[in-house]
Amino acid sequence: MSAALPVPVIQLFQVLTIALGAPGISGFIAKVEARLQGRRGPRVLQPYYDLAKLFRKEALAPEGASWVFLAAPLAAFTCYLTVPLLIPVLTTYGLPLGYMGDILGGGFILSLASFLVAVAASDTASPYAQLGASRAKTFSAITEPVVLFVVFTVGLITGTDLPYALAATVRSSAGQIIRPAHALAAAALFMVILAETGRIPVETHTGTNEFGMIEEARPFEHSGPYFAWLRWGSAAKQLILYTILINVFVAPWGLAASTQAGAVLLAIVALLGKACALGVVVAVIDNSFAKLRLFKITEFVSAAFLLAVLGVFTLYLGGG
Amino acid sequence: MYLAPFPLAPFPLAQALPTQAPGVFTGGANVIAVLILLAEFGMLRQALLRDHIRLYMAQSALIAILAVIVAAARHIPDLYVLAALTVALKVIVIPLLLRRLLRETDPVGAAAGGADIAGSGGLGEASTVLLAIVVAAFGFFAASRLGIRSDAAPVTALSVSLSVVLVAFVLMIHRRDVVSQAIGLFSLENGISLAALVVAASLPLILEVALLFDLLLAVVVFGLLIRIHHGRGRSLSTADLTRLRG
Amino acid sequence: MSVVAALLLIVPFLAGLASFAAPPRAGQAITAVSGVASFGLVLALIPDASQRAASYFGFVRVDALSVVFLLATSFLYATVAIYSIGYLPGGHGHDASARYTRRFSLGLNLFAWSMLAAPLMSNLALLWVAIEVTTVISALLVAIEGTDGAAEAAWKYILIASAGLSIALLGTIFMYYAGAQVLGPHYSMAFAPVLASARHLAVTPVRMAFVLAVLGFGTKVGLFPVHTWLPDAHSEAPTPVSALLSGSLLAVSFYAILRYYQIAVASLGPRFPRDVLLVFGVATLLLAALYLLDQRDYKRLLAYSSMEHMGILAIGVSFGAPIALAGVLLHVLAHAAAKGNAFMGSGVLLRKFGSKEMRGVRGGLDLLPWSGPLFLAAVLALCAMPPFGIFRSEFEIVAGGLATSHNGPTVILVILVTVAFLGLTLSANRMLLSRPRPRPGPGPGSAEPGSAEPGSAEPGSAEPGTAEPGGPLTRGEPSVWMVVPVAVGLVALLVLGVHPPGELTGLLARAVAQLGSRA
Repeated sequence: MSAALPVPVIQLFQVLTIALGAPGISGFIAKVEARLQGRRGPRVLQPYYDLAKLFRKEALAPEGASWVFLAAPLAAFTCYLTVPLLIPVLTTYGLPLGYMGDILGGGFILSLASFLVAVAASDTASPYAQLGASRAKTFSAITEPVVLFVVFTVGLITGTDLPYALAATVRSSAGQIIRPAHALAAAALFMVILAETGRIPVETHTGTNEFGMIEEARPFEHSGPYFAWLRWGSAAKQLILYTILINVFVAPWGLAASTQAGAVLLAIVALLGKACALGVVVAVIDNSFAKLRLFKITEFVSAAFLLAVLGVFTLYLGGG
Repeated sequence: MYLAPFPLAPFPLAQALPTQAPGVFTGGANVIAVLILLAEFGMLRQALLRDHIRLYMAQSALIAILAVIVAAARHIPDLYVLAALTVALKVIVIPLLLRRLLRETDPVGAAAGGADIAGSGGLGEASTVLLAIVVAAFGFFAASRLGIRSDAAPVTALSVSLSVVLVAFVLMIHRRDVVSQAIGLFSLENGISLAALVVAASLPLILEVALLFDLLLAVVVFGLLIRIHHGRGRSLSTADLTRLRG
Repeated sequence: MSVVAALLLIVPFLAGLASFAAPPRAGQAITAVSGVASFGLVLALIPDASQRAASYFGFVRVDALSVVFLLATSFLYATVAIYSIGYLPGGHGHDASARYTRRFSLGLNLFAWSMLAAPLMSNLALLWVAIEVTTVISALLVAIEGTDGAAEAAWKYILIASAGLSIALLGTIFMYYAGAQVLGPHYSMAFAPVLASARHLAVTPVRMAFVLAVLGFGTKVGLFPVHTWLPDAHSEAPTPVSALLSGSLLAVSFYAILRYYQIAVASLGPRFPRDVLLVFGVATLLLAALYLLDQRDYKRLLAYSSMEHMGILAIGVSFGAPIALAGVLLHVLAHAAAKGNAFMGSGVLLRKFGSKEMRGVRGGLDLLPWSGPLFLAAVLALCAMPPFGIFRSEFEIVAGGLATSHNGPTVILVILVTVAFLGLTLSANRMLLSRPRPRPGPGPGSAEPGSAEPGSAEPGSAEPGTAEPGGPLTRGEPSVWMVVPVAVGLVALLVLGVHPPGELTGLLARAVAQLGSRA
């Protein structure tokens, strides 16, 4: 299997890997968490069955909801699937459509998706959905500076803000891995990812604790296929964020350096494997800490901010 | 650019990287220095006294580790002894004394992990962290202007040590109970040890031993004074130390 | 001479241990003997130190500058030791009082030992260690009374002073770094080699080291803005300890600054170090003078007066003229004697009237036939009245300032000293020259010192001690032991003011030459 794949096909594979692998990663994390708690847990492929079931169900819309309510899930999902075109998912080299946006562009698209979901939630006039939407937007605003500083770190290290460039830099020498700026930026980004994907210590991913729900409250009113798109979309967002963390910061190895089919296949397997490893870490954190009270989330974010700022400082002073 | 015909071949990444990575030793030493600073920030946010003490132990252990790394990389055998003494004194003996002090003055609280002493109430937690970030930034950039060159440890560690000293001051100001203030002072001394590792790594061992012994003496006296303070007021809080003014 | 230096280091330490083990009265006698012996030993060091600097045992160094400060410390050690015999009620057979006296004697001896050791250290790092030891021991002594105020003052003192000394340690480390570039990495921070190679030291680390040393050791000297522990600690400590704190400890900490000043002047040139000292000195003097105008507690008043004199010292050094430097060193000696007298007199007032507040003390001159006039003389001496020693030293400082065209600072100095004079004499007037009035009701009782009083009633009320019961006070001295040291101190002040002995002036001249007066 050493056929060279055409580059657009590889790009398509990027999107498909994210889209099809995302529910599996969610299922894997749920399984690991259950095992750590001493339960047997659901099967790893359960999210796929859930999605299939949801697509067959009837959809209801609240009275007074507009077209936004119906259009948002699919629109958000489309946004989520656009981002894999921009980040190094499978390859070390830039793919054609990868020119469409840099790391900031990817961030914008993710925010657009989040915005659409929030608007749809507000459209329902349901208290829980609106609660979740407003909370989610507030915390997104607070985590913006952290993300910005992480991007600054990337920019200062590589001189560009292309994620591919940073991945190549990290691969280039051992010194790049152990430098403080890189470690700090990766740690800060990890804390932001915990907040964005709704994991402990920010939010409980499972269960419906109304007073603590942030992300989980937004799809409250959607049902049927719309709910399926939303669930799939949030799983895809999770995998995309994991991919950014893994393939750009923490472990950018195993990516295909050529267009050989074998290399690409290896890259897919490597990505899913690394995402599962990160999922294990998230599950351990999930079981080790308690959820923070809502007003303490600002402290959590300030800690992430501290890490990101220190990363930039160490770069400025040299030796970072 | 987005409308230009895209090349079918992957674009090259041959341009030179703008910032050179520091070497493995420099990077590693800097990471440890930054971890020490993070431990200091952690003390700022911690409410439980027991965790305060644990953070101090972690910080002291990190300094010992850095001393060992510098000793190995720069062939300064005295630093091994210094690291061993640091571990013995700051990681074992001093936290032991502090924990015993906590048990004696606040047995109920100590069993639960130490009293939950709040800060002085002037600033909230997150605001204090932001203030500490500003202060640490000042320390960072001030130190970098000094133009100090050192072959023992990387100079960024000196900037970090000045930041640790300044954040320790913020900690001592913010906290309202005597044990936290005392631990703040000890962590300030940790910051100065870090600075000593950078600029004074070859200080004769006898002087380092004198300094450590002096620290032990200070800790004992602090313990006595805390006991006296507790004996007067039945609490570890400094909120009512307002009798002497003018 | 090495024997003398060794004895000076050993005797007070042994005296401390012995006085803790022995019965209280014997312990106090041991302390007094040790004090007088130390003073004698320092006097024996003078002729040699006026000629040259000498190093012994690798870590001891005796030169003219250190002997000046040793004189101040040992003189106060001797007088305070004798004074304590009368101050502490000892030998009542009451167990708590005996324990208190023994702890007090142990602390006093060890405190004096540490203060004698500091100027003898040849090594900048050991100097820091010695000063840290003085902080630690004196903090325990401040807290020894066991009252609320004492506990608060001791905690404030040790926290602020330790933080300041940590800054000074950072300065020491920077100085080490500067020296290591020239002298090699394993040198021992001995003072003499560093001074000798000062011209070759890199500028930035030395500058940083000097400023950090002024700020750090200045915390213990009581310079603004790191002086906030000073009034509390000096007023809450037992009186003999207050005398030692004000008279000797501030001076010894200033000695540390002077060592860094020597290196900084040799390395950076005279301008920068002197400007730094001038700023700190003027700020300290200004603050102290203003605070002196509005005090309720006479021990706090004396503490602010100490701050004022430390400011004068800093300003004097910043003038840089040889005569100003001679004035500074004479001031160290005269201030030690005068402040010691003043605090000892205040202790007599406390024993007599039972209150630390000035409104509780009336008619001192009438009721205390000896201590009253002595205390008044001490306060006037602190205000630089001739013919006492402080007048001479401040005159020399002012002369030095005018000689080097520091006209502005000199004028400010004179104005602020006048303001301080106002504050001090107004308060002394009220206390001493007024008519005695009967005390309102029985006194707070004669609770034994050292037993923890659960919550003293008002701030600044009686140190637990043998206050006289209520009713009109009788004329008489509480104890003859408390009069003699003050009289001796007054004689010393007169001698310093009218005609300092030749050996002393020789010593001072040599010390001034060492301070490198490149005016």
